[in-house]
Parts: sequence; structure tokens; C-alpha cells
Amino acid sequence: MQLSLCRLCFFIFIFISIPGFTYAEDENLDTIDLDFEIPEVEKKPYSFKTEFKISETIKRLDNDSLIYHQRYPDGKEDDTLYQTDLNLKVEGSYQISIVKLYARLNGDLSYNDDDNWEHDRQTEEAYVSLLPSPSVTLDVGKKVLKWGKGYAWNPVAFFSRLKNLEDPDATLEGYYVATGDFIKSMDGVLKTIALTPVILPVSRDINDDWGTERETVWGGKIYFFAFDTDLDIMFLSGEEDEDKFGIDFSKNITVNFEIHGEAAIVPDYVKDKTDQQGNLTEKKYDAKNYLLGIRYLTSYDTTYIFEYFRNGQGYTSDEMEDYFTLIEDGYQEYRNSQSMAKISKSRQYGSRFYNRQTVMKDYLYLKVSQKEPFDILYFTPSVTCLYNMNDKSSSIMPQITYTPITNLEFELRTTFFFGKDHTEFGEKINDCKIYTSVKYYF
Amino acid sequence: MKKILLVVIMCLCIAAPAFALDGNEMLKKVDRNLNPESYELYRKLINIEPDGSKKEFVMYAVKKGKEKMASVFLSPASEKGRSTLRIGENMWLYIPNVGKPIRITSLQSVTGGVFNNSDIMRLDYSAEYNCEKVEAIDEGYILHLKAKTNAVAYDRVKMWVYGKRLLPDKTECFAASGMLIKTLYFKKIKDFGGGIVRPAVIETDSPLYQGYKSIMIFAKMKAKDLPDEVFTLNYMSKVEGLR
Repeated sequence: MQLSLCRLCFFIFIFISIPGFTYAEDENLDTIDLDFEIPEVEKKPYSFKTEFKISETIKRLDNDSLIYHQRYPDGKEDDTLYQTDLNLKVEGSYQISIVKLYARLNGDLSYNDDDNWEHDRQTEEAYVSLLPSPSVTLDVGKKVLKWGKGYAWNPVAFFSRLKNLEDPDATLEGYYVATGDFIKSMDGVLKTIALTPVILPVSRDINDDWGTERETVWGGKIYFFAFDTDLDIMFLSGEEDEDKFGIDFSKNITVNFEIHGEAAIVPDYVKDKTDQQGNLTEKKYDAKNYLLGIRYLTSYDTTYIFEYFRNGQGYTSDEMEDYFTLIEDGYQEYRNSQSMAKISKSRQYGSRFYNRQTVMKDYLYLKVSQKEPFDILYFTPSVTCLYNMNDKSSSIMPQITYTPITNLEFELRTTFFFGKDHTEFGEKINDCKIYTSVKYYF
Repeated sequence: MKKILLVVIMCLCIAAPAFALDGNEMLKKVDRNLNPESYELYRKLINIEPDGSKKEFVMYAVKKGKEKMASVFLSPASEKGRSTLRIGENMWLYIPNVGKPIRITSLQSVTGGVFNNSDIMRLDYSAEYNCEKVEAIDEGYILHLKAKTNAVAYDRVKMWVYGKRLLPDKTECFAASGMLIKTLYFKKIKDFGGGIVRPAVIETDSPLYQGYKSIMIFAKMKAKDLPDEVFTLNYMSKVEGLR
């Protein structure tokens, strides 16, 4: 742990000494060369971009929480966990005539408290594009399709993985798809219409998150731009998967005030839920998910992002109470008789259904960020609050990002969880999390 | 008496051209002198802090007609691939990591510093402003511009236009409250070829950013006609391919 504390001190030292770097380049305005070389003006067929990140994560465990008891029924010697991550992300493209190849690879090497080195590598995207004209694009391969207008949640993102609420802008891994864009621009009220069809094959070898039976999932999106409003209508249909239908929109009401929304319906959605004894049952119903949000910029460059999310596929307070009671009873049973039966069952349900983000029905999200306060360029502090309206628990995340030198970015964020017993955030395994990173692009 | 009459008539004749000037027509001429209606160009943006330290961005941009513009960052590496689209007063930002366009406003800045999105993604002045008054001064004219709608970034702009070429020399940008937001200085008139002769440098400072300066350098501007489909959300990730 001492080593990890040293690492933390090192990061903090770098962080607080950042302003010092800015004095390194002292150039008088008069000496600036007003002619400049255009990089890559002779266009090359290939392009590369690399991002290297080193980060430290410190988690303080909440040894009274039920999820802690579920994972560590015998307790844990140290109630603080440290992890160092080295992450390398490389993306490249190569274009010959109308054919373009693109790939983004992600490699992660981490070292944790238990002196364990772990590594992971992932092809986030790898696809080939045909670009016969600006109106037509065809893509085949592993690709991320991010649909929806919401910042924190996207109930209409039928073909993408869930975003991390602590870092909604992070890259995601795609699915193997065949897709394309067919765009038509017009004069008049309807300025643009664009069609995006999607075919997603499922088998044991590819897209196995969708199932192991061989099938083809179809989908599509139609985009309209009219009356200064973005509007999308989308659907998904599969033999084994539930059909989904959705709509989204966004519009600027004034120059500094934007509204957006999404709505999706999943007919005959099947929800798995447990009772307090650990019996799993299915409930079938038409799930309706929707989101309404605003983005508002003040004259002081403060940005407010506020969203309400109704997760129709989520659990009610009573259903979550049953799950928490199962863990609590399982933990008592283990302490009394060393029987792992119930707690094992709860672990299984937790990993499949319950121990996820946004697991319940109604949420509020608020992010307030201030651009360049105190005239410090490229410095953005922010606070994000996530509130579970059903059980009145919450998380609060203050964050700082700073890019004082070209291609170098610093980030520091802490997350605190608040809530009573048997609430989503009150029973999180951590009661506090600190994350700091240094990122370099080249 | 005849002499007095002659002098009065001569004075009226001299003054007549100034009164005959239509401010909006003059503004349209300023626009066309600054750039063709549809074009491509490269730009370098430099943000300079009070201590002299600076940060640079290079962009490629295309514009079509009165209300469509798209641009993409070529450097630095941290910004490479970010593209912006403007259709009238609608603006979007595409960040490769995020993977989808998000709406932004003309008051924000994709680069930080004194230039905001409205400066970086500038459409024709005549598309956004009406000229309310032309003031003749020794070296040229001052155009007093008023935003056509409240969706425009600056409510009023005062533009100094000097010389035979009718090119701006300086603009002062004001909020609806009357507060001066920033001043833009147009410098280094350069022949870009194809009949485009315009200032190659725009420098700005702002009372809101004491001691800070931002500079925009223009290069390789040339007329270019592009299909409308380039100026759509679906095309934002491919703008660099137009080079």
C-alpha cells in the first residue's frame, strides 16, 4: 500500500505543478510566424493516432454494504483497493480510392493490490468502408453505432453497449455489422433525410452477447432535419431478440438552450427477478423507456446538462428489496452455518441482472461544468450528480480536466455514494472512489 | 450668389455617393471580397496566454452557399478528427471517441481561447446581420450591423471598412446589453489566387479575457463546389476525406 500511496502522491504532485509547465513556452506575439506549413497537405492514404494513458484508481470499500458482504463474506483485510492501469489505444486508417480500412485497438495492463498483473486487449472497431459518393457509404465489420441524443443514457441505442456513467464519452467496443448511410439533402423545410440500415449476424463466434443461436438481427434508422430540429426514428427486429422501436429528437430553443429526448418501446420484454428465497421468475410486459434532457450555457460559460431517465426495463423498489433481502439472508446463513447456497445464488443473479448501473426505474442526472474559470485556459472543473428517484440514493462526482500542453491531458475525479440501507447507491461496494489519469496523444 | 449656389451644388454632388450607399449591399460586397460563396481553406488558430505560452490548432474547412459550413481538425493529435458542422444557426460537434454528433452553440468554443464557434464557423456577415447605418469616415466607412435574430452570437457589430477593396479592417462585437465582447483585427492582405485577395490574419482580444489573444491564419483558400450531402450529420466523420 505504501507503494500505491507514493504513486498517488506522484500524481497529485504532477497535477498541482501543471501551471508551471505553461511557462515553458515563452514566445512574444511579434515573433509568431504568420505563414505556416499545412500538415499533410499532400494527402497521405494512411493516418494514425495513438493515445497513451496512465491512471490510478483508489477505492474505499464500504464493509457494511450488502454487495461487500456478497463479494467478501469473510471480510477483507484491507478496506482500500489500489489499481494502476497502463492503457494504449491505437487507431489507424488506410484509403485507396473509394475503399477505406479503419481499426481501433485497445490494450490495457493493470497492477493491483494483490500484486496481480492483468492484461486485456480488444479490437474496439475494425471495418471496411466503401465511399462511392458523399450520398452513399457502406460499412462492413466491427463498428460502433451510437444512436440517441441523450448525454448519460441512450434508450434508443439498440446496437451499442451501455455507456459508463462515470465517463459517458469513453470509446466503446462495437459489434460485427453490415451497415451504411444513404443521404439526401434538399431545399425547403425538410433539409436532410438519411437512412441507416443495419444487419447484425449472431452466432457462437460473433456477436455472442446477443445469443448463441444462429440468427440475423435487422434494424434501421431514418434521420430527418427539418424546422431546425434533428429527428430519428429507429427499430430493431430479430428472431430470438425482442423487437424494439424508438424515436429521438434534439433542438436549440435559443442559441444557448438545447432540449433533447428519446423514447423506446420493447414489446413483450421479459424481466428476470428473484424473490427473497432466491426463486427466479419471469415477468413479461411492454417496457417503455424514455429520456428528456436539456443543455444550457450561461453567459458565464457554465454548462448545465440535466436529464430525466425512465428505465421501463428496470426494477421497482420492492423488487430490489427482495434482492437485497436475499443477499442479507444469504450472508446471515453463511455466518450461522457456513452455507454458501443463498449467497452464491445472489452472486449469480447480481452478475446477470442486478449489479449494474441504472438498475432501477427513475433517475435524474445533472452535470455542471465551468469552462476556464479564473482565466485558466483549457481547465474545466465539473460536478456530476446522479439521483435514484425510487430509493432516494445518489452519487456525486467532482471532476477536473486540464490540458495545459498540447496533446497532454490530466484528469482527477472522485465519486461519493450516498444512500440508506437497501438502496442502490447505499449498498454499493465502495463508499468512495478516486481516479486520476495522465493522457498523452501522438 | 451664383458662386454660392455653385459651391452648394458641388458639395451636394460630392456628398451624394455617400448617401446613395446601401449598407446591406456594401455588406454583401464585403462578404464576397472576404471569400467566394463556396470555398475550401486551411486555418491555423493560435491561442496566446499572458505569459506568452501558446497552443495551436490546424483545421480544414469547407463552406457552401449562405448557411452551410463544415470543418475538421488536422492537428494537434488530441483534436484530430473532431469535426464541426453549421447549418444556419444550428451547430454540431463530432468527437471520434464519442462517436455521434452533439449540438453545440455559437457562444461556446471548440478550441478554448477568445475565438468562439461563431468566429471559427463564420458564415457571410450579410446572412446574419442587417446594416442599419453607414458612417463615412476619413479612411472609409463604419458599418453598424444588427443581428437579424436573437440566435446570432453578437447582437451588434461595428465594422470598419477601409480601402478601395471594401475589406474589413476591424470589427467590434457587442452583446445585447451593449457590452463589448471582443474586437477582431483583420491584417496582412494576401493574394490567394483565383481573384481572392483578403486579409490572411485575424487577431482578436477581449475585455473578458484580459491579456489573452487569439490569432487565425488563413491559407490555401480557393473556390470549391461541393454536394449538399457533405453538410449533414451522417457525413461529419468523413469531412477530412474531402481534402
